[in-house]
Amino acid sequence: MASLTTRLIMTVTAEPGYNATDIELARAAALGDAAAFEKLYQQHHRRVYSLCLRMLGNSSQAEDLAQEVFLQVFRKIGSFRGDSAFTTWLHRLTVNQVLMHFRKRGVKLEHTSEEGDFTNVVDTPLQSTRRISLVDRMTLEKAISQLPPGYRTVFVLHDVEGYEHEEVGSILGISIGTSKSQLHKARMRLRELILKKNE
Amino acid sequence: MGCKQFEEMISDYIDGALETGEQAVIERHLADCESCRALRDDLLQLVHFSRHLPEHTPSSTVWTAIQTQVKSERRVGLRQRVARWLARLEERNFILSLPQLAAGAVALILVALVVSVVLRREAQQSAETASTPASAAISKNLLSYPDLQQIEERISQLESSVEQRKASWTPDLRQAFERNLAYVNQSLIECRQQISGHPEDKVSEELMLNAYREKVRLLEGFEAF
Repeated sequence: MASLTTRLIMTVTAEPGYNATDIELARAAALGDAAAFEKLYQQHHRRVYSLCLRMLGNSSQAEDLAQEVFLQVFRKIGSFRGDSAFTTWLHRLTVNQVLMHFRKRGVKLEHTSEEGDFTNVVDTPLQSTRRISLVDRMTLEKAISQLPPGYRTVFVLHDVEGYEHEEVGSILGISIGTSKSQLHKARMRLRELILKKNE
Repeated sequence: MGCKQFEEMISDYIDGALETGEQAVIERHLADCESCRALRDDLLQLVHFSRHLPEHTPSSTVWTAIQTQVKSERRVGLRQRVARWLARLEERNFILSLPQLAAGAVALILVALVVSVVLRREAQQSAETASTPASAAISKNLLSYPDLQQIEERISQLESSVEQRKASWTPDLRQAFERNLAYVNQSLIECRQQISGHPEDKVSEELMLNAYREKVRLLEGFEAF
């Protein structure tokens, strides 16, 4: 009865006005439905590209990587069983692609040459009396792109994407302690970069 | 607690990862230290804004490049599948009855037709980079073809009938049926794939209807056994 299942899935996703779920679209795409694959792209490309952009800090490389991520989706969609949400599967696929990119380029995530190299809090000009916000989004995005890759990766995974330290450690192959330490240093460095920009 | 010690604990503090006792110590320090309050406020803002950053849109060339690569990989995949199938065919010695041979031959011709049309279409459109809007492609409801519903109903009846008869079939007959059915079903998948990517492709529409009719003939043929 495989053909009937195939027909049903492809008919359902082709129905005008029908909002197919990610899992239905993924199954149809796995059976060769080009429209379902395009719809998956339309629904998720901004999130994938934004994640690549924040982890890489470079729009051209982020576009190349987003392209590679969706090609991997096309090649591996048959292995998506629906055990987890499609977004979780896609997100992990994207992070893995970025990490593979770092490995190919010899970027080390655990240590950076600039560890601990930021201003001590007692030397920082007082900010508590500010009436304007420390952070505007544009400045924050720019500052994130200026972080060393190790700090940036942990910061994006934890503070932007909401992973816990256990997950960050597992994804990056580092200890929870290292993840916490990198995150703390990333936040302090970001504050310093933003304060410098606001001066 | 000094400012240096506070600075080392601030991330755990704003993430709520400290023990109650440590938290109380931090809060006592904050009450007396304006500089550390500023640091806490800044980091809280930073973390809050980071959780709510807007999404960015890549340029349209990304989708164009993906489409081009996907088309190319589909073409290669199709060729490989046909080559594997032909290789398997060559390895086997078939002893088939006349109806089995006839059904097999029809299915073979059908597959060859579909493959040639798909390859020709894709070759013609390899230079085409503009995307077909998803809404147009997915608006094609396969059940809207005039006589398709009738065919679907007939197939459904025949499938139940054939399913009941299968129990009395020999293993060879069962194998021949499954093989022929797989060919026809594969043709239907290829046709749908082609129509899905090219909603105006009348040739593929016709081939798909023919494939459906061929499925009816196949099921009718085997219903007699």
